[in-house]
Amino acid sequence: MRKQRVFILSGLIPALLLVLAFTYYPFVKGIVMAFQEYKLFDLRSVHFVGLDNFKAAFNDPKFIMALQNSGYWVFFSLILQFLFGLTLALLLKKQFRGRGVYQGFVFYSWALSGFLIGMIWKWMFNSQIGVINDILLHLGLIHERIGFLSDPKWAMISVIIANVWYGVAFFAIMLLAALQSVPSELYEAAVMDGASSFRKLWNVTLPYIMPTIIATTLLRAIWIFNDPTIIYGLTNGGPAGSTHILSSLMLDKIIYGGDYGAASAIGIIMIIILLFYTIFFLSVTKAEKAGDF
Amino acid sequence: MIKRKKVLVSLLCAVVTVGLLAGCSGKNENSGNSGSGDKVTLRMIESLTSPKRTELIQAMVTKFEAANPNIKVEFISPPFDQADNKIRTMLGSDEQLDVLEVRDLTVAEFVNNGYVEPLNAYADKWKDFATVSAVSKSVGTVGDKLYFVPNGLYERQMFYRADWLKEAGLNPPTTWQELYETAKKLTDPAKNRFGFSFRGGAGSNGTTDAMILAFNGDKVNLDDSMFTKDGATIYSTPEAKAAMDLYLKLYKDASPPDSINWGFQEQVQAFTSGVTGILLQDPDVIQSLQEKMAEGTWATAPLVTGPTGKALFAAGGAGWGITSKSKHKEEAWKLVEFLSSPAENTAFSKDYGLIPIHTSATEDEFFKTGPYKTLIDMTDKPDTYVNYKPPFQYPGTGQWGQVTMESGQSLLLNKSNVDDTLKKWDAYWADQKTKLKK
Repeated sequence: MRKQRVFILSGLIPALLLVLAFTYYPFVKGIVMAFQEYKLFDLRSVHFVGLDNFKAAFNDPKFIMALQNSGYWVFFSLILQFLFGLTLALLLKKQFRGRGVYQGFVFYSWALSGFLIGMIWKWMFNSQIGVINDILLHLGLIHERIGFLSDPKWAMISVIIANVWYGVAFFAIMLLAALQSVPSELYEAAVMDGASSFRKLWNVTLPYIMPTIIATTLLRAIWIFNDPTIIYGLTNGGPAGSTHILSSLMLDKIIYGGDYGAASAIGIIMIIILLFYTIFFLSVTKAEKAGDF
Repeated sequence: MIKRKKVLVSLLCAVVTVGLLAGCSGKNENSGNSGSGDKVTLRMIESLTSPKRTELIQAMVTKFEAANPNIKVEFISPPFDQADNKIRTMLGSDEQLDVLEVRDLTVAEFVNNGYVEPLNAYADKWKDFATVSAVSKSVGTVGDKLYFVPNGLYERQMFYRADWLKEAGLNPPTTWQELYETAKKLTDPAKNRFGFSFRGGAGSNGTTDAMILAFNGDKVNLDDSMFTKDGATIYSTPEAKAAMDLYLKLYKDASPPDSINWGFQEQVQAFTSGVTGILLQDPDVIQSLQEKMAEGTWATAPLVTGPTGKALFAAGGAGWGITSKSKHKEEAWKLVEFLSSPAENTAFSKDYGLIPIHTSATEDEFFKTGPYKTLIDMTDKPDTYVNYKPPFQYPGTGQWGQVTMESGQSLLLNKSNVDDTLKKWDAYWADQKTKLKK
């Protein structure tokens, strides 16, 4: 029995080493740095400063704005991605000619890197030479060019639109897979009972795929919250910080300030927010329904 | 059967573990002379990576290796966006690195952390050092020590649509005020045409600082350019306010509204695609202008001056330095000297679109005609086009671009006014000064 345990433990060592080195060490280091003055410019005077980095963050109007923006960013991106994704999945569930090819076209956005998507949309949104303004002008829907990324009223909406475009495919893929597992007998039974298509959707389909919905939205919300790439590529947080979310602000602190202390503090605040979010979400949706993931 | 499997698994685990540990400690082995005999391997890294540039540098390195059969050069080209971080990581983790590309933006940081070696002792013995221009030396110098030999300089000049100006019967502007007036006349939003290729996004301080420096003119302390000769910041003067008032007008009356968030790419793209008429940029855009625009539609002119008739300009650049931990400094210098020689540097500058570092190179026909000519003309009039030293020694320079961009955008969006913005900038540099004195 003991021999068995030794064997198991020794078998785990390589994986354990890797996990410790590449997951837990950076994590602990990040926590430590949040309480230090740790600037690339002056690595010789790294020292502990207590809660200064956190105080500085909460006194910074940019941080407060980013906190607020993170809320909008996650909420609207998630809801819209989910709704469009579900619609697409329902449409793709039916057999029709060329479905495979069509699926490929629908899903390809998921295969692009977020940064690249940011770059592409940046040119499309450009008010002088961008295609979106051109189309709207030619259709006669607008008479003056709109500064999608330069007008703070529009900028946050624009980055969310790009993000929705990116994430719809993810929900479509996941929900389609779940939909295909709904047994057809259930629908047959529902038809026998005289259910309308809305009732079928509401009382059969949705309850059946609920675990997938919970798991995907929970995961996706965390990804959206953490992912700065689209914003970094599109607006870099501008104009005047009006499109910064927490993760892009964190990146900004590192890239332009070399200030790892301030960035780590923001990182920790993000972790705390996510922790609360997860606890809240799991308790409202009753964790056991979410299944194993 | 099961036993055999167990033995196999244990063996595999042992091998993987040993492999992992060996991987962690392996760096000592290859830091010495690798390979046999006296062959020395130098590791060299570039920062401003772009496919064409990498190719040019690789060609020079190959030439160097052919001339020095006992030296092998391992050339690392990380992608531009990550290059400086990669260099920092390598330096911080004591990985072997001998020759590195240091930028004006990073030199103070590297010196501060003790990563790079002063080159004066080597340069004194170098026969071609005499022809290295004073500006080039100044770019690579921190305090009184030379830390890198630039591989070419970037200097701002004006590009304008010669055809538009001719059509409107205008001359290329020579002052900021004229630039504003000319740009305003060229602007016609109905035709999606604007006078000035404004840049309010990343790098916006290129415009704001240039204007404020030009307006302050003689008041500026050229060695400590964020401050006047009286020791106040350049943002605290009435001239700074005049400059910013004009800056605001330039954006509102003569630039695309969208340009508040534009960076380098959009700014240049707007010019090449015929949306904007005047562009202030470095010579590295010349090639893309030549490729995308018809000959004769555009021309170059010197930088515009402030009200006192002066334009302050800084040369930017990157160049080759040697790490302080290098074990092969002599060989590393040999490589730096080769890359910086008049022949190699002039060819590289021509091919990539930079100003060569040797004064002798300006004799070349290539730089006497065409779009580069205005830059040489500017050098010939040092009283009008005054060279200043950018404030790279301050820890806050790296963040300065971001600070000006954000507060500048608030100003352009009418969320704040010129006085408050300048107060903020004044406080930023006053604070930098006290930090530096500590």
